[in-house]
Amino acid sequence: MSAPKQDQLKTLEQSRQRLVQLTHSLASLITSLNQSDPLPPWNSLQSQASIISKNLLSVSDHLSDNRELLTSLVAYPGPEYPSRTQANTLEQLLRTKLDPRVDDWVARGRKAGASALEDKGTLSEADLAELWDWAPVEANEEARQRNWGGNFTLEEREAGVQNVVTGLRRVLEDEGDESSEEEEGEEDEMEVVGVRRQSTGAGFEFDIAPASAHQKPVEPVVPLDGILRYMTTGVSPGNR
Amino acid sequence: MHELLLFASVPAHQHHELLQQLAGLTAMQPRHRLERRVIYKAYRKPGLINTRVGASQDLQGHDMQRLNKMLNGGMFYTQVVGPVSEADFGAQSPSEDPDAPMSGTDAEEGSGNHLYNYENQPWKLEFRDIPEAGTRSAVTSRLMASASLPKGDISTPMNAWGYSYVTEYAVEGDAFILNDIVIFLHRVLHYPTEQESHAPRRQLPPFQQMSPLERTGSYVLQASITVQDGGNQEMMRTASQHLFGLREQLKSAVRLEQADRLSLDTRAK
Repeated sequence: MSAPKQDQLKTLEQSRQRLVQLTHSLASLITSLNQSDPLPPWNSLQSQASIISKNLLSVSDHLSDNRELLTSLVAYPGPEYPSRTQANTLEQLLRTKLDPRVDDWVARGRKAGASALEDKGTLSEADLAELWDWAPVEANEEARQRNWGGNFTLEEREAGVQNVVTGLRRVLEDEGDESSEEEEGEEDEMEVVGVRRQSTGAGFEFDIAPASAHQKPVEPVVPLDGILRYMTTGVSPGNR
Repeated sequence: MHELLLFASVPAHQHHELLQQLAGLTAMQPRHRLERRVIYKAYRKPGLINTRVGASQDLQGHDMQRLNKMLNGGMFYTQVVGPVSEADFGAQSPSEDPDAPMSGTDAEEGSGNHLYNYENQPWKLEFRDIPEAGTRSAVTSRLMASASLPKGDISTPMNAWGYSYVTEYAVEGDAFILNDIVIFLHRVLHYPTEQESHAPRRQLPPFQQMSPLERTGSYVLQASITVQDGGNQEMMRTASQHLFGLREQLKSAVRLEQADRLSLDTRAK
């Protein structure tokens, strides 16, 4: 047995530093999860996760690079080691078996790794890439074949609109292909029809106008603050 | 007790749709609510010792200072809320009621023989503190307390406690319950004539004559959770998490958010 050389000590020191970095970033993730309310935004979580994975990668690179040295190293207490006061540390250092807790983690990790490798039912990377290459083009072509707008497809119209099962209680109007009305426009239209049906006789033209005016979306004039202020202190919103 | 709140403004054209969405979400039919609300403001009673007058400052003891602080310190707006029904609007007061003033002037179109008896109107005193400042969470939270008041005339007891009448309005809306959240979709209605009154109305005008405060008829959506023990941080956090959950669920329909703290300022200056 010989004392470790300078570069071997350096390797050990490096592994210590990388592990310290890893524990730091893990600890910061844990505290941010525990303490911030509501949870931190996803982009901060994402960046923390990528930092952790970078740290993990560097640790594992380092460990595998220096595998030879690290497996051959043996720790033993020197005569000048303060074994009385530092008994705990000494025991940790001299342990050859893993801590039971750590042992569990390792077992869990190995199992997860094994099951990930066994996962043969899903698509391979190449298949997935191929699928994603194919999908947008194909979807686009499918979309181009149709003239969007209106409530029914051409096939449905040819087969007869009344046979289509829409699952809707209200009656969809069948308009021409050219009409690409917005949803709101259609709702107005529906309302007017309802009014026309209700009112009989000459009054119907008169009735349409207020109905459609009523239906038009009107944004509130008084801001929420004003209403709340009035409700609390009776100060009318105009007086401020 | 503490109250955690989120608010949203709902345009009139969205009201019907939102009612249905809420009914679906909460799996219950809306509970229609009509309330008359009277705002009272604390005032400094004349005759209280004003400590700053005269040269007798050095004579005033520490106890006196504390007493004054207690009497004059927290001056708040407070509300008195009374539930009413739609039939109460425009109803005549019972003729045998000796207190009914000049009945028949504005209640000629009373709905059938329904009578609105002001002397039997139940009331509830609702105190709300100004929302807490500097909370990191994105909900409005404030101290609250409610108490039942004797039926009938509330002016006298309120005046005796040092509150003066400010104004009165009605609130019309629908309430839903979702677990521990009370959802109240409501709007403020004005009484038709702004007469110079210094007491709550004894009769209510016909409902059709009530005009919304917000001319376009928009509504306010209020989601609230009441927490009995406001000092329990865990409880408060759970409650706000629930509100955030609701906010997420309603995200595509309305934007629930924290109210401006000063708009809920109940301190009387």
